[in-house]
Amino acid sequence: MMRVLTKEDLKKLINSLSNSFEVIGPKEIPNKGVFYSPITGGDELYMGDSFAIEPAKKFFLKPSCAILSEKPDGGFGLEDVGVPSDKRVIIGLRPCEARGLTLLDKIFDAEHKDKFYIEERSRTTLIGLACDKPDRGCFCTSMGGSPADGQGLDAIIFAAEGQYIVEVITDKGREIIGSTGKKLDDGEQKARKSDKKKRHDSVKTKITPPEGLDKMVDNDYWSEVSRACVSCGICTYLCPTCHCFDLVDEERKRLRCYDGCSFPDFTLEASGVNPRPTKKERYRQRVYHKFDYFKKNFGENLCVGCGRCIRYCPVKIDIAAIADGARV
Amino acid sequence: MKSWEPKIVGFLCNWCSYAGADLAGTSRREYPPNIRIIRVPCSGRVNPLFVLKCLMDGADGVLVSGCHIGDCHYSEGNYYARRRFAVLKRLLEYLGMDPRRFQMSWVSASEGDKWAKLIKELVQEIKEAGPNKPGLRKRQDG
Amino acid sequence: MVEEIRSKAKELLKTKRVDIIIGYKRASDGVSATPAFVNTVEGADELIWDAYCTYNLSRYLNDFPGKKKGIVAKACDAKSIIVLLQENQLRREDIFVIGVECSGVIDEEKLRFGEGDADRIQFDQRCKGCDPSVYPICDLLIKDKGRAKTPGLEKDPYEAVRKFEVKSIQDRFNFWKEEFSRCIRCYACRGVCPSCYCPRCVADQTMPAWFSKATSFEGNFAWNVTRAIHLAGRCIDCGECERACPIGIPLRDINKKIEKDVKELFGYEAGLSDNGKPLFASFDKEDPEDFIR
Repeated sequence: MMRVLTKEDLKKLINSLSNSFEVIGPKEIPNKGVFYSPITGGDELYMGDSFAIEPAKKFFLKPSCAILSEKPDGGFGLEDVGVPSDKRVIIGLRPCEARGLTLLDKIFDAEHKDKFYIEERSRTTLIGLACDKPDRGCFCTSMGGSPADGQGLDAIIFAAEGQYIVEVITDKGREIIGSTGKKLDDGEQKARKSDKKKRHDSVKTKITPPEGLDKMVDNDYWSEVSRACVSCGICTYLCPTCHCFDLVDEERKRLRCYDGCSFPDFTLEASGVNPRPTKKERYRQRVYHKFDYFKKNFGENLCVGCGRCIRYCPVKIDIAAIADGARV
Repeated sequence: MKSWEPKIVGFLCNWCSYAGADLAGTSRREYPPNIRIIRVPCSGRVNPLFVLKCLMDGADGVLVSGCHIGDCHYSEGNYYARRRFAVLKRLLEYLGMDPRRFQMSWVSASEGDKWAKLIKELVQEIKEAGPNKPGLRKRQDG
Repeated sequence: MVEEIRSKAKELLKTKRVDIIIGYKRASDGVSATPAFVNTVEGADELIWDAYCTYNLSRYLNDFPGKKKGIVAKACDAKSIIVLLQENQLRREDIFVIGVECSGVIDEEKLRFGEGDADRIQFDQRCKGCDPSVYPICDLLIKDKGRAKTPGLEKDPYEAVRKFEVKSIQDRFNFWKEEFSRCIRCYACRGVCPSCYCPRCVADQTMPAWFSKATSFEGNFAWNVTRAIHLAGRCIDCGECERACPIGIPLRDINKKIEKDVKELFGYEAGLSDNGKPLFASFDKEDPEDFIR
């Protein structure tokens, strides 16, 4: 189902959604960038070309998520933390991030059922926004995605000449969009195909994901490419698919906090031994997890090519170029 | 509900301020019981992180107290402390922390009266400042 | 300039004066720069120098223990080297400083948001407070002959700090609460800082855990205070922390505040000479104590 919405329609839709849904969307903070945050009215929604700095992952895997907390009666011991159940909609999500969530599903909604993740997923409807201007960091088409791709989304919005064309993909999406706007003409439907292709071709950075990485574990390549790394957590925290965490007990709570393989103390053992003592091992781990281990386990690369780690790396380490250059 | 009473953490140097507080006690000077004292060898031992941790974990005020300048048992520990906390105090204030919450004093072993008076004033000031906002952790116990 | 840097680097490597040159090379995007680590004469041809070379490379000096290092350094980087020498993190004889006359680096953030483009250079705010003629250490200074545009010095580098200081305590609190609320604790500010070289940062310590690891207000506030206070009298305002911060916390506003206080209270300025003792490892009997009761 396809519908055409004017800008006014979209605003009205968001305003009416706020009554029964928690609405989240990209919001611009002047001089800081775009952040996914709660939206109270249609005017707040940012529908421009800039990408949100943090991925929407933070709504499914919270940076610090309480999983156990003290008993309400103050008694000894910890008990499970409940999960909110009110409905939520994220509008303006980029296709690469939605694809990232489908990859996270393979971990948190598979053999092990993570109730926090699953609950957050099932209470959320994802309305995507196709990209108009991918930037230098974007390489989604090389990773099996596309700026117009609906994978993992319930509906996707295409901005086109002052109006929005919405493609409804799932029933959840239909529930949100309903009968807003007008039906798309049959003639227009055909134009969609070429529009999708145009968007797909607008991604200029292309790479070939590496094969047979296990043959080059000891290669000097890894020390070369990781030398400039400053061991911060930008690449892992801003990645829509990185999902490592650390359990921290504080203030009578057990928290699940983000952690990342780029930090020196990520693998530090209580004995004092660190199996990944230098940047070489740590950076290699990041590449291998994305392009080797995950692929062996689940048949796909754990990277959606959103370009965040390239855009925000303080020293411009480029995982696309590094993955592309990793040849035996 | 009981009326709110501020909790104040005091880092007292072993040689002067701790003895001064002791003197206040032995000479039966009365002062409010809101201060919890931690004895340290020297005011120079106090790390700015100690102060920060107290404030973040819910203390309503922190006092660092040592020997008067020139009286340090280790000759110069309080000189270092003075520098360090001058910067910390201004920084906390800049970041929006009430300046009354972090205080420093010199109290010698013979100044039991000064100690009692200081704590009375300090508790009054922090009562006026109200509960510590950044450290909004609600602890049920003391 | 680029040619001079390359030929000097080649000479230093050939004569074994240094084992490695830490400089800049073009990043994979073809526009920005990225740190380069050159240990062969041929490799020196990839070295570059332009307004995109924003990084403070002195951060890498301790990554090569036991080796002789050559470093391409701007005026601000040179001040960092002074701080490292002063704190005995480096040996003077182990380093060769190739000073480059810098007329300011680009503000990539502004480029990203489309406020400027590569032709209309937007200088980074931090460069406006820097006097590049103050060059406290270098073995060779490469002059910029085509030096046309400079950011120009601000009259009062602490103007913003002064304006903020007079705001009400509630306004100040609310401002920083808002800014710190976005902190994701990626520790990039720590990672890029040449003065943050502790083998185990207090933020990573667990016994005791000095402050919350969660992205709570307490945790974020405590981390940012800790970072700032540990750099008091050591920060030379290269502004790398603010640049690296992905979510745009104005960290320089905090650094500048401390810099101003330290100057006012103790007449101390970081990174000017490696002779004196560091700020907190020294004292003056006459240090102000009007805040002490």
